[in-house]
Amino acid sequence: MGRILRDVAIAVAVVLLLALLPSVMPSKAFQDFVIRCSSMALFATSLNLLVGYTGLSSFGHGLFFGLGTYAFALLMQKTGMALPSAFVLTLIISTVTAIVVGAICIRLRLIYFAFVTLAMQMLVHSVIISWVGLTGGDQGLQGGIPRRVLFGISLESQYNLYVFAAVVLAVGLLLMRHIVNTSFGTSLRMIRDNETRAAFLGIVVWRVKLTVFVLSAIFASLGGIVMSLFVSGAYPELINWPITGDAIFAIVLGGVGSFLGPLAGTMILLLLNDVVTRQTEYYGLALGIIILAFALGLRRGLLDFITERLGGRPAGGIS
Amino acid sequence: MDLDALLDCVTTSSCLVTQSTSGLIVGMLLFMVAAGLTLIFGVLKIVNFAHGTFYMLGAYLAYTVFTATGSYTLGVLAAGAGMAVFGVVFERGLISRVYGANVLMQLLICYAVVLICDDLVKIIWGADFYAMGMPPAFQVPPLFIAGGVVPPFYLLLIVVALVIGGGLGLSLGVTKLGKIVRAAAHNPDMVSALGINTTLLYSLVFAMGGALAGFAGGLAAPVRSLTPGMGFSILIESFIVTVIGGMGSIGGALIAAVVLGLIRSFGTIGFPLFTEGLMYIAMIIILVSKPSGLFGKEIV
Amino acid sequence: MTKRMLTRRSAIASAAVLPLATPHIAGAQAKAVRIGMQATFSGPLAQSGITHRNAIEMEVERINAAGGLAGRPIEMIYRDSKSQPQEAARVARELVNTDGCELLLDAESSAGSFAVQEVARDLGVLCMHSSSETSSLTADPKYRAPMSFRSSRQGIHDAIVGGAYAAKVADANKLTKWATCSPDYAYGRDTTAQFMEYLQHFKPDIEIIAQAWPKLGSPDYTEVITKLIQAKPQAMYSALYGGDLTAFINQGNIYALFAAMKVFSVNLADYTALTAIKNLPKGIYTGNRYVVTCPDTPANHAWGDAYRKRYNEYPTNWSWESATGMMFYEGAAKKASSADPKKLAEALRGLKIDCPFGAGGTVTMRADDQTCVGYAIGWGTTVPQAPFVEGVKTADWGVIFEMEAEWKKKNGFN
Repeated sequence: MGRILRDVAIAVAVVLLLALLPSVMPSKAFQDFVIRCSSMALFATSLNLLVGYTGLSSFGHGLFFGLGTYAFALLMQKTGMALPSAFVLTLIISTVTAIVVGAICIRLRLIYFAFVTLAMQMLVHSVIISWVGLTGGDQGLQGGIPRRVLFGISLESQYNLYVFAAVVLAVGLLLMRHIVNTSFGTSLRMIRDNETRAAFLGIVVWRVKLTVFVLSAIFASLGGIVMSLFVSGAYPELINWPITGDAIFAIVLGGVGSFLGPLAGTMILLLLNDVVTRQTEYYGLALGIIILAFALGLRRGLLDFITERLGGRPAGGIS
Repeated sequence: MDLDALLDCVTTSSCLVTQSTSGLIVGMLLFMVAAGLTLIFGVLKIVNFAHGTFYMLGAYLAYTVFTATGSYTLGVLAAGAGMAVFGVVFERGLISRVYGANVLMQLLICYAVVLICDDLVKIIWGADFYAMGMPPAFQVPPLFIAGGVVPPFYLLLIVVALVIGGGLGLSLGVTKLGKIVRAAAHNPDMVSALGINTTLLYSLVFAMGGALAGFAGGLAAPVRSLTPGMGFSILIESFIVTVIGGMGSIGGALIAAVVLGLIRSFGTIGFPLFTEGLMYIAMIIILVSKPSGLFGKEIV
Repeated sequence: MTKRMLTRRSAIASAAVLPLATPHIAGAQAKAVRIGMQATFSGPLAQSGITHRNAIEMEVERINAAGGLAGRPIEMIYRDSKSQPQEAARVARELVNTDGCELLLDAESSAGSFAVQEVARDLGVLCMHSSSETSSLTADPKYRAPMSFRSSRQGIHDAIVGGAYAAKVADANKLTKWATCSPDYAYGRDTTAQFMEYLQHFKPDIEIIAQAWPKLGSPDYTEVITKLIQAKPQAMYSALYGGDLTAFINQGNIYALFAAMKVFSVNLADYTALTAIKNLPKGIYTGNRYVVTCPDTPANHAWGDAYRKRYNEYPTNWSWESATGMMFYEGAAKKASSADPKKLAEALRGLKIDCPFGAGGTVTMRADDQTCVGYAIGWGTTVPQAPFVEGVKTADWGVIFEMEAEWKKKNGFN
């Protein structure tokens, strides 16, 4: 109980700090950074629930991130729904999709799981590109998202969207933190470390796997909703394979063994993107070299590295 | 959906011949790339996500050598040889550090190399697309077989691919080296305990896999546009082929590649809009029903 | 041939980027106008960003030498969006919010331009789209934004001209059975549908007997080529471009495709494609993307030659579109005697300027939908050596306006 209160207190403090910051430092770029960070960090942390905590290497998690963007944007554009209803309905759609997709995928082991999740994501991507009438095809949803109003507060203002994104990130992280700290979280780690033993100890492995798959899909979609508000629309690039690649990079750069690793990794990745693309056209070259340095040199993400240096032990993860 | 057109085609000999050969051509190139991928996975248990880069570099090498010397044969040989060398360097320098590691790590290393090589190609050759053009020996009108249209260059492609693939399959089955490679795929510890230099073996396998992709790139160069990033689409397709055919099975890769090629060529007539989605669905069905693919072996 | 992008003076080291460089304070020097330009400088479409920028640099030098925009020198800031719309949105916001750009020159392709449009709408910043050819960006009131303009060509104009020209050729050669082969995405589908619509409008007995839709960037056209040959059309239309078109023609050659039917390729008259194709078949009908012979005027020749001299390669379609965008900004600044964005926007509406790419030597920024009209559109036939396209016939804008108005009415765009 004490831990939960501590986490909540930290989260509230950070959100308040962020909300007050623009009065002393009115940088719009910083606000944009926080909004994008919120979206990607939710996505990456949700993927780490699968990768780091359960040992499920999903290559197709971007499906749910992209589904979040499209479902939310479509609901807002095509129906007259208010933002809160569209928000909730999007999460419900993701839940149902995740149950179906998860039921098909989790029976598979190791690398086959990775491939089938990838195939699922690319299949949905194909459908979105082909269904031009509904989704606008490869041009994405044009025209913007109307009525971006939440309980009377307009999210068209950058400051409001910035605070909203910070709050959503804090709430999402707190909830995911809670999940991994319960006995459910323990069973995840047990499955990751030794699935057979976990089964012998009475854990219904497939049910736990399906549950975490669905939960992580919900948080990925949450990240998608934030992104959809940021670009005021939805684009096929947000459900294409490289977006899953970005999340994997974030996890590896930040540390697969620490809860906040993906958040740190997201910040590193976004910073890298913003800084490097200002200086050169060869972003791929720079990113590739840095990834190699982390993967081969440090051999672990930043937060894991720091934790180990400080004498602690990261919660494990991929070797 | 245009099933009438499809039925029409299958019942006309000219259409049948033309579409079958075009499916074979697509399939054969795909087979060469996928064969290298499946070989590397079968022996080293490494999913080479950078395989498309070998293909791309092979194509660029062939183009450069051809424009410099005027000899297409030299160009193709250079592509294969160059990629064999690159394969060894890649394996020794990077892949050897992640043997046995999680597939995510392999993905990371390979994807990083893809990003780096795409930009290096842009730096060295430029961002514009290049067209090699058909070597003068093949600038001949197409053949007409049973009413169908068959370009001689593509006939050559099919033959060369079959020779290379068949040669590979045969040598793996019959020669001593081939037996060692297959043994290493089955039980690497035992092989090394028998005193065989597995380090050399692994490099050799990567060299072969790389050379295959390089040859494919060189062979395809006259009819492709060369741009940085051209490896991506063939990578996705060769993954689909290796998964369906079975990771580690060369024969499986051949069959799956040909089937995919035929689906594409007849699919363009019958259901032009959703061919790609169909391939993903096929991949999912195979993975769910028989994960090791049609001809692959179970991963222990 | 790559040029380094202009880098900002202040170092960027952390997320909390502190904004705005200091304005010039030295003596009588006026404050520079920052124009933010974004495009794709990497990946398969890298050439678009690079050739956009080349043309812009030439124009900026010329304009600054003549005093800049209403006495204020232009400072360009370039950003790469890597063909990712979410990057395009982020970059647009960064250019305005952090880099202090007062004007935007958006050289993104269609998906990116819609993303930038939303940013321009939200931030109320003056934006000139110089690459997107999707008509709905300006034609559809749903997407229009009061401070957004377009200097690039439009799909609907090209379709009308192409259809009319092809109908004449079809009449003369009795070409009634047609096939199409275009990339399977919005641009390919829309342009092909529109071209065929107008072709059939001008010559109603035309029949479409086969359609092929290869994926954009697909390297292998074997199955579509053989499908086309089976169908035995008398003529075919293709909206393929760049590397795809080159591959298609190279592969089509070995199937003797071009001997079997007349080919109408709307995007062939582009020097990059023309020079990359090794055995350019003679007699392909093509529209102009950019050629120095359309319009066949001294002004156009001079501009094309100057670009060639400076960059050692010919200009592309992208080049002239961005150059026109800069010329519009220049003309508006002259008319308004100011570089203030609101005044510029006012001046742009209905502005007519001298332009080397104009059909009659001028182009106009139409007031009601804020898009460029009057640029030279023409069709001719290919020859395997320079000037590569001969017999160019430029279109009559009277016809274009008439058909375009009908098209708008039909789609409810008024």
